[in-house]
Amino acid sequence: MGKREEFDVCVIGTGAGGGVMIQELTAAGFRVVALQRGPFLKPADFHDDELRTMIRDEVFSSDQVETYRYDENSPTETGRFNYMANCVGGTMTHWAAWSWRFRPDEFKVLSTEGPVAGASLADWPVSYDEMEPYYERAEWEFGVSGDAAANPSGAPRKKGYPNAPHPGRVASDRIGKALRKLGHYPFPTPVAINSKPHGGRPECAYGGSCLGYGCPIGAKATTLSVCIPKALATGKLDLRANTTAREVTLNDRGQARSVLYLDGDGKEHEVFARHVVVSGNAVGTPHLLQMSASGRFPNGLGNSSGLVGHNLTLHHIAAVSFTIDELSRASSGLHSHVAFDDFHASDSKRGFIRGGVVAETNSAVNQPLMYALTTHMGCGERNWGSDFKKYLRRFPRSVGLAAVLEDLPMDVNRIDLDPQVKDGHGLPAPRITHRQHPNDFAMNRWFTKKMMDVADASGAIEKWDAEFYSLPNERSAMKGFMHFHGTCRMGDDPSKSVVDRWCRSHDVKNLWMVDGSVFPTSGGYNPTLTILANAYRVADHFVREAKRQNV
Amino acid sequence: MSKALSRRDVLVQGTVYGGSLWVLLNTPHPLTARAAQASSKPEVLSAAQWKTIEAITGRVIPTDHEPGALEANCVNFIDKALANEDAAAKPLYDAGVIGIDAVAKARFEKAFVALDAKQQDEVLTALESGEAEGWPHAEVPSQLFFETARAHTIMGFLADPKYGGNRDYAGWKVTGYPGGGHHLGGYSPDQMMAKDKIKTAWGEEA
Repeated sequence: MGKREEFDVCVIGTGAGGGVMIQELTAAGFRVVALQRGPFLKPADFHDDELRTMIRDEVFSSDQVETYRYDENSPTETGRFNYMANCVGGTMTHWAAWSWRFRPDEFKVLSTEGPVAGASLADWPVSYDEMEPYYERAEWEFGVSGDAAANPSGAPRKKGYPNAPHPGRVASDRIGKALRKLGHYPFPTPVAINSKPHGGRPECAYGGSCLGYGCPIGAKATTLSVCIPKALATGKLDLRANTTAREVTLNDRGQARSVLYLDGDGKEHEVFARHVVVSGNAVGTPHLLQMSASGRFPNGLGNSSGLVGHNLTLHHIAAVSFTIDELSRASSGLHSHVAFDDFHASDSKRGFIRGGVVAETNSAVNQPLMYALTTHMGCGERNWGSDFKKYLRRFPRSVGLAAVLEDLPMDVNRIDLDPQVKDGHGLPAPRITHRQHPNDFAMNRWFTKKMMDVADASGAIEKWDAEFYSLPNERSAMKGFMHFHGTCRMGDDPSKSVVDRWCRSHDVKNLWMVDGSVFPTSGGYNPTLTILANAYRVADHFVREAKRQNV
Repeated sequence: MSKALSRRDVLVQGTVYGGSLWVLLNTPHPLTARAAQASSKPEVLSAAQWKTIEAITGRVIPTDHEPGALEANCVNFIDKALANEDAAAKPLYDAGVIGIDAVAKARFEKAFVALDAKQQDEVLTALESGEAEGWPHAEVPSQLFFETARAHTIMGFLADPKYGGNRDYAGWKVTGYPGGGHHLGGYSPDQMMAKDKIKTAWGEEA
């Protein structure tokens, strides 16, 4: 090792949270070192190969080891439960790019609903009004396409989308017409995918394969395609791919001092920084804090509240597939072209609280292998033999609907260190303990029924509950584990939250957590635009306060 | 109708066997394609194993007025996978081939390949249920073998032909899948609305 080098900031993780922090801090002149598990991939590494990408997982996540249990009395399974991408750009690299603003009430769930038995509802310390300018910033940086006037249930907004809506496909056209017939307000699903060149990236070629795949042409916005190139161009970023952070160390004043990490060969290194930003999302962030336990913080770094790892939320995702009497062209285009949001507002008369958004999808997946291995199960038909072959023949006429539903946080749902299972580096695997609140199931059933009605109005021939998230053999198809939030919740009260309103640890003043882990509640929308917007908000604060010498 | 295995069941049973299906099907070594391009001769399966596994694939995706797993050469996909990425599953197949013949003999006094289609389906249904009379392995659940062979057959039918199955794009033709959209150069708005035909990976229009 040469002489000790101290960076201004060490950012751990380069996904939606970390990527934005890296972009903004390097732009402001800070010297940043970024650590990221997995490789620095290029567009040429992304392709349509379904076996390689979706089944054998040779592009993303190859060294991921996790365990799962339903509750403390249940057996523990070892596998991959967190549908993430271990590469520069993080899980955003293979996102479907649905880009929503949370509604104002989704930042104030406890105030809106009051306490609910078995749930740990909380308000966010920030309001929609404080988030609004940063949503706008994120939408313009990431080139979101959409129709700003078309969703009467969406959050209020001051400015339109930077990209016009995308053209539709047969499937979305059918569903849009059916929704209008039913009295709903369909609108183009807002996606961070270019409908015309934007930000130096090209327009979409409509080749399909968004969800689960990297974009081979860069039309899909990710931190890999938007933030990292800008940060590298400043000359202020030292990007260290193929590294695994294993501990944040403290100095004798109780401040973060350095990060210990392992390189691809398992060799340990130490990097020093004046600030540490942990952006590992709702599994990786508490996992690193727990591995960083010390005499000062025996239960995990920054964990005087005892809440690090707790209140994990995963969303509940309901899905319905059906067939129509013509080619649906669902293999082409985006993951979703049309959505409706008229069921979003909470209404306890429905038998549950909270809600979510519903969108057309390419029958959950747009390639045949995942369709064959996952979607089939709710059909009630045999998954082999001549019945199964009939199911395969439905593929080109298949259409999907999916609802992203706000699940209720529960203190018992959490991440901790598995006492037995280790990863390839010998580090303890993160252990996921999770079960759903009864409200989640009631909401899922209600939305499934409503989506069946939309299927009928769309002229469905066969229709089935796709049960996409509870099936054997598919890594993406597990128990709704696609969106991870909570585990380091944000709040004003240090006894009831892990970070403050600026995502700064209540306990360690130069330690920041910027990702989905800070979400007190999950919202009824895909989380990424909110992670991006929140990161722009935090970065803005960081830079402003640094200029005043306050951080 | 028999109940499909839950994922939890597969994992628990896989652990009993010494490594979960989940893990073995996710082992990252990009070797099958190279092996498949080099040879369509058996790499790790014996001639007898090849025939038995080929017959199993033929019932998982049977031939009707269109090709099935036999025409798509799914057994070749499995052989190449077992020689490479899924080598950890080779012992499971060794045990499974012995096991399925034992069940076939207990029920029909013949080897599995000598049975007619209806009899073969009965044997496979018994394996799938986990209650297969004559199954000789206390430590290897018959469901695990069935589920692995089923999943592998589907992969062989629908994965890119470079992996040794999906011969002449048989699986994609049956499933109405034209091939990877980016590989084909993307789609126009008129193609997305089915106003224009699209070109398939095998040079036809659909």
